[in-house]
Amino acid sequence: MLDINNLHVKLEDEDRTIVNGLTLNVKPGEVHAIMGPNGSGKSTLSYVLAGRAGYEVTDGSVTFKGEDLLEMSPDQRAAKGVFLAFQYPIEIPGVVTMQFLKVALNAQRKARGEKELSTPDFMRLVKDRAAKLNVSQDMLKRPVNVGFSGGEKKRAEILQMAVLEPSLCILDETDSGLDIDALRVVADGVNALRSPDRAMIVITHYQRLLDYIVPDHVHVLSKGRIVKSGDKSLALELEKQGYAEFDKSAA
Amino acid sequence: MSIALARTAAEEALDFSLPHRRMEEWRWTDLRQMIDKPYPPRQMVTAEQGEVERLLKSSPFAAIAGARMVFVNGHYDSKHSKLVNSAVEPQAEITEPVQQMNAAFATDGARLVLSGSIDTPVELVFIATDAAPRTIATHNVIEVAGGASATIIETHIGKGSYLANSVTEIRIGEGARLDRVKADLESHDATHLAHAHVTLSANVTYREFTLSTGAKLNRQNGTYAFKGEHTDAKISGAYLLAGKQHADSRLVVDHQVPNCASRELFKCVMDDHARSIFQGKVIVRPHAQKTDGKQSSHALLLSETAEFDAKPELEIFADDVACGHGATAGDLNEDHLFYLESRGITPAEAKALLIAAFVGEAFETIDHDGIREALTDYAARWLTEHRRKG
Amino acid sequence: MADLQTIELVKDIEVDKYKYGFETEIESDFAPKGLNEDIVRFISAKKGEPAWMLEARLEAYARWLQMDEPTWARVHYPKIDFQDLYYYAAPKSMSGPKSLDEVDPKLLETYAKLGIPLKEQEILAGVRKQGEKSELDDAGGSEYSSGKVAVDAVFDSVSVVTTFKAELAKAGVIFCSISEALREHPELVKKYLFSVVPQGDNYYAALNSAVFSDGSFVYVPPGVRCPMELSTYFRMNAKNTGQFERTLIIADKGSYVSYLEGCTAPTREESQLHAAVVELIALDDAEIKYSTVQNWYPGDAEGKGGIYNFVTKRGDCRGPRSKISWTQVETGSAITWKYPSCILRGEESRGEFYSIAISNGRQQVDSGTKMIHLGKNTSSRIISKGIAAGRSDNTYRGLVSAHRKATNARNFTQCDSLLIGDKCGAHTVPYIEAKTSTAQFEHEATTSKISDDQMFYCMSRGLTQEEAVALIVNGFVRDVLQQLPMEFMAETQKLIGISLEGSVG
Repeated sequence: MLDINNLHVKLEDEDRTIVNGLTLNVKPGEVHAIMGPNGSGKSTLSYVLAGRAGYEVTDGSVTFKGEDLLEMSPDQRAAKGVFLAFQYPIEIPGVVTMQFLKVALNAQRKARGEKELSTPDFMRLVKDRAAKLNVSQDMLKRPVNVGFSGGEKKRAEILQMAVLEPSLCILDETDSGLDIDALRVVADGVNALRSPDRAMIVITHYQRLLDYIVPDHVHVLSKGRIVKSGDKSLALELEKQGYAEFDKSAA
Repeated sequence: MSIALARTAAEEALDFSLPHRRMEEWRWTDLRQMIDKPYPPRQMVTAEQGEVERLLKSSPFAAIAGARMVFVNGHYDSKHSKLVNSAVEPQAEITEPVQQMNAAFATDGARLVLSGSIDTPVELVFIATDAAPRTIATHNVIEVAGGASATIIETHIGKGSYLANSVTEIRIGEGARLDRVKADLESHDATHLAHAHVTLSANVTYREFTLSTGAKLNRQNGTYAFKGEHTDAKISGAYLLAGKQHADSRLVVDHQVPNCASRELFKCVMDDHARSIFQGKVIVRPHAQKTDGKQSSHALLLSETAEFDAKPELEIFADDVACGHGATAGDLNEDHLFYLESRGITPAEAKALLIAAFVGEAFETIDHDGIREALTDYAARWLTEHRRKG
Repeated sequence: MADLQTIELVKDIEVDKYKYGFETEIESDFAPKGLNEDIVRFISAKKGEPAWMLEARLEAYARWLQMDEPTWARVHYPKIDFQDLYYYAAPKSMSGPKSLDEVDPKLLETYAKLGIPLKEQEILAGVRKQGEKSELDDAGGSEYSSGKVAVDAVFDSVSVVTTFKAELAKAGVIFCSISEALREHPELVKKYLFSVVPQGDNYYAALNSAVFSDGSFVYVPPGVRCPMELSTYFRMNAKNTGQFERTLIIADKGSYVSYLEGCTAPTREESQLHAAVVELIALDDAEIKYSTVQNWYPGDAEGKGGIYNFVTKRGDCRGPRSKISWTQVETGSAITWKYPSCILRGEESRGEFYSIAISNGRQQVDSGTKMIHLGKNTSSRIISKGIAAGRSDNTYRGLVSAHRKATNARNFTQCDSLLIGDKCGAHTVPYIEAKTSTAQFEHEATTSKISDDQMFYCMSRGLTQEEAVALIVNGFVRDVLQQLPMEFMAETQKLIGISLEGSVG
């Protein structure tokens, strides 16, 4: 589904390479965890996949469902099924969450040549998904992420994911700022979305999240490249050893 | 749309047309009407030494400033001055009526070049002694060299009826810091017309504070031109007015380059029939991206007949900016008063406390401890005296 | 990137894609070109007006001759040759239609093409166009339940049709063209006309007072809550024609009325002048809600053509506890010069001004409000949202003043500007005058742009750039949108998208 090949990324404004020859292959149904210390390029990877401005791909390729992902604008990527759950979700004053969800869903459907969802159908869909994620009706009526607590923001991200039903979910440090109960709610939401057609990339600093979202593969990212891959036991190993070992091997 | 009108007596004496309400910038301060008697310029007045010393002593900074330059009735007073003029020429374009008037009538003024790190505040004192009504005009040029840091105080003190016209041109070099404090403590029978023309280079830190308690009629113009990036200016003021005092401040903050920040904070307290006006304009020119410009003006009206007018303008031609302004007008908060009184504070004290708290925020912007304390004390005395009168 | 693309996007916007820019070929009756006393007499005679009205017009004309065109607004345009305009144009077949059947089918076609808020068929059938109070919008809905809208349509200078007259008459509400009101209810017109905006009020108001050809008249009797939304639809069609309509609305004691006006004009190379006057009078405990969706032709991307919209709108809260609320959505016109105001004369009266002003291309907007507090315990609220794009200039200009006797006057003002691209300008020029210590005024203003982060977030959820801009702008103006009658909210949201994108949605 997703083929990242020898990806090199630098900041547009600075001469600093952040992703440095990263290769990763993700198949439908798989959950990949990418772990690494701060500054290893985790968030940059997620932004490059989603198409954020400010990054320059200097080498390598990213193919998504057989197409060149890097050629697409962020909205085209979304319509193709890429979804990034932001580490720091953006606030949009005045735009009600419910309205935002509807506009986004229908924009994607339109781009894919599907029929727009009717208001009643849409309402049913959202209410159903929201209930499962413990997202209150009140939250849906508030402007997107404005005045949300950290936990509310993360739950809202997962709700968007549940409504938009992407085929590739990238979760960028979704566990940051969550207490254990909130983490469980979010993880349950994510797990409910696991399916044979859907792949996930879970980016995290800590092993803790992976107790709840159990990955098929774990990769250690250091200095912009994957230095070790393994199964879920690798995450536990990391927890014990810390990242220092891997930083050395990347050097 | 000029309406041909006969010259007023004041205009006749000056041989100069005064700005009037049909000029947008003077809509609330019509000098044609408000200057109701002649103030002839260039009058030679001999000052009595005792009076000069008494007035000097009444400066709140008498105990602070070491380096002093004194102008009496528009002329340099070598006896009381410790500083002499440097060679520096005015450059500012003359566009504005107060400037024009000054250009025609100025008799003297400070010319200073400040370089290096100057710890002692430099004080410029402008004294008007009691004599027949006349115009006293001074013109100052202050250049702060690149990398220098200095504090400059302008004190305006006087007795009797006169019209003081004071223009100050300030140029600040790269990486320099200037703290400017202006105290308008003119005679209550005087008119004070001032214009400051401030040019800011790159990486400059500029702090300005004005305290106005004097003059029956006070008009301050200020233009602040940002010419270099990463410069930061804070301009604040406190006005304490009573009787029939009228004070009008018009500031133009002109962001011509990117990445600069400006803050304006004005606090006006008015009692009796006093009237205060704040006209602030923030301009962000095309390409002056990442400008951060905020202004706020707050008025506290202590009597039914006091008046506050404001025109806080934004003129924005760049999109990546954060600009805003806030203005409020009102009287003391009844709940706050009640709360203080319920704790045993007398109504008069409670009122004074709240007024002091209201203006305090503006005084907080003064960095120099000695100056801040001196002015805070001065303001406290004003409040006490005022309360006794009221 | 998003930022750059946004700018690109704005550059691409073809203001020429004005949806309402067609012309209807209808034979018109013109008064001779130019302006003089005879033209004023001609217009008055055409209308069969009483003598006092002609007198009033001539007085206005005399005053106008003495006045200078105002120059204080931040708008620039070539000098208008007032002798090169027609001051009266009426569709020939339109001398007095009694019902829609009598209306020139071409006219009806025009309205159909316009997709006028009229939505004649449904409205005539008396069914609301499913106003779905959607949870999506979470809007404070309109206070209307009937869903009917009575419409007065003004084509060039003449009112062509007024719907629902009979039903309104049952409630005692008079809703007709001002010409008809002059014939049928001269005592009411005489009592109130010019009482809020006198003939010599300002240059354009004086011109309007001399030559106004038609407009709407509303009178709501004491205690009556007008049973439906009232609406006037203005269309400028004929070439070289000035449109000068005059609207007069009186809400008698304890009554309520909500009124909406909409405007469009054909695409033309030369500019057209529109100088309207609206007077509102709210007596004791009465309330008037006046909404405008102004979408006159804005001119092309280079600033050619477009309407010069010089409008005087003023409401007088004459009685105690009366209330006047202005809501405006300004997306059209090459030049807008407009300050819907409230005179808060009655004790405890209240004035409101909610505004969305969008400028794009070479449009110039100078708009705002005046809240004049004269009575005790009066209050006012101003929410203004200005959006500047392209090479446009967008100015908020407002005055809040409390006179000495207006004890306990209250005002809250919020002026926000949003800039899209770096070739436009957004300006805020508020005047605040507090002449009493008991007044409490609060004023806040901000200027910002759409952040790259917001754009990226929306696009990463699948919105195209244009959709993202429209969505964020709609969020920005939400506080004002909610003030519009339900029926027009969705339409307005769409209009905002169109104004900013150039792509007809």
